[in-house]
Amino acid sequence: MSDLHWLSAAEIGAAYAARRFSPVELVGALLERIASLDPQIHAFIHLDAKGALAAARLAGQEIFAGRARGPLHGVPVGIKDIIDIAGEPTTCHSKILLENIARVDAEVVGRLRAAGAILLGKLSLHEFAIGGPSFDLPFPPARNPWNVNHHPGGSSSGSGAALAAGFLPIALGTDTGGSIRNPAGTCGVVGLKPTYGLVSRRGVFPLAFTLDHIGPMTRSVRDAALALDVLAGHDARDPGSAAFAQGGFGADLERGARGLRIGFVRHFHESDMIAHPEVTAALDEAARVMKREGASVRDIRLPRLQDLAGVQRVFMLAESWAVHAQWLRERPADYAQVSRRKLMGGAFLSAGDYVHAQQRRLELIDAVNDAFHDVDILVCANSLDPACRIDDEEEGARTYPRQARSPFNLTGHPALAMMCGLSKGGLPIAVQMVGRAHDEVTLLRAAAAYERATDWHTRRPPLEKAGNARRRRA
Amino acid sequence: MAEKKPPESALDANALACAAGLGKAVKQFPEDVAAAARSAVQARSALGAQKNAAAEPWPPMRVRSAS
Repeated sequence: MSDLHWLSAAEIGAAYAARRFSPVELVGALLERIASLDPQIHAFIHLDAKGALAAARLAGQEIFAGRARGPLHGVPVGIKDIIDIAGEPTTCHSKILLENIARVDAEVVGRLRAAGAILLGKLSLHEFAIGGPSFDLPFPPARNPWNVNHHPGGSSSGSGAALAAGFLPIALGTDTGGSIRNPAGTCGVVGLKPTYGLVSRRGVFPLAFTLDHIGPMTRSVRDAALALDVLAGHDARDPGSAAFAQGGFGADLERGARGLRIGFVRHFHESDMIAHPEVTAALDEAARVMKREGASVRDIRLPRLQDLAGVQRVFMLAESWAVHAQWLRERPADYAQVSRRKLMGGAFLSAGDYVHAQQRRLELIDAVNDAFHDVDILVCANSLDPACRIDDEEEGARTYPRQARSPFNLTGHPALAMMCGLSKGGLPIAVQMVGRAHDEVTLLRAAAAYERATDWHTRRPPLEKAGNARRRRA
Repeated sequence: MAEKKPPESALDANALACAAGLGKAVKQFPEDVAAAARSAVQARSALGAQKNAAAEPWPPMRVRSAS
């Protein structure tokens, strides 16, 4: 049982059913791996080993007594430290909230608990989901398991890094401008930003109210569907919560790509912003794979990437300023420099700018919806470059805005990032797939078809070698 | 030798920042205030010219029913 750490949630459930190992054995193996490798990854801010083992014991008793609650029962999960777990700190990776203890579970955490999932702990992030990677914070930034000298993407950095390092099979992330899909793509895992409103935001510290999404990060598409089944649902106490949620998100995972109509949004990365050649080649290959699998693939045009991302940026600046204004006035020195610079931007926008952005938003949502008259899925770039070194501020500042994720925070469409290549430097490259609003079933179907046709999801970072070498040296 | 003055745009940014209550940040982190102001200018210019001032903003006002 040496490879328990690479099992998916679906495989864990099957193993419990066959009594191959217990939740306590699984959690024990993961805790051992985290103790061995996290000192170089820094995925966790707070590891609740005691609580996780207690939950594992309880899960084992229930499952083996024939009272399994569902596919996530006994499955370890990690929670981005911007999401409340009752009785634990929610620091948002910031000095500002170091003493903040959550009183009640976020809705998503309550749903995971009810499903029997085991909460392993809180995962690191960019400060307040916006400022990172930063070295002037109370906790170190997470690092990329594929190469610890490179950044893991953000802002759900710890979530992506923990999955890629084999610390857990499911993590929660949040996504306001791409913060699930960036670390998912950069760490070579799967990240799903659901349709706006499908997953409750209650108990999650806001970054920008009308852009914030919560979603699962996993190592397989099936696990993303299983997790979404638990997370999605109407919450009357979240004013943005969608009035419906269908569940059964994995219904079409086995249907394959045949018959799917895919629109390849080439102009995002070929003319709006020119992607790194390795990214362009990997995206072309992903489109070829989908065609080979029976999908029809045609080029399609959306509004310019700069227009979509530019309007999203006004919302991000204005709404995040509204959240942070008082702290920025009173405690500017308690923020990382990166956060301070980003969060103060809204102070220089006017009410008219915000309303103008709202007017543009409707026009852009309609334009993306129009594209879905002719296709079922959009395929486009995720990041336009492989991850740069974590300590290269200049390159980080250049490459971070080079992405095609934030348009779908603006429009609210569901979007998923998954690995579709490895750079010459050995770093993951990702493709993004986008679905119609509230059609996660088809989005996950397309992603599953791609996953089945390729072997990227089986690749693992060379971290173990480093870990083994370190142990041998010790 | 005359004291070097900050450029006009920085003065404008600082005035706006102070009006927004960011006096402490202006004093302690003037470069960050200037960077934030620049990013807002970029964001505003990315919005482009308003095409239709009467267009309905999104999301629209909705009546919230009593629960």
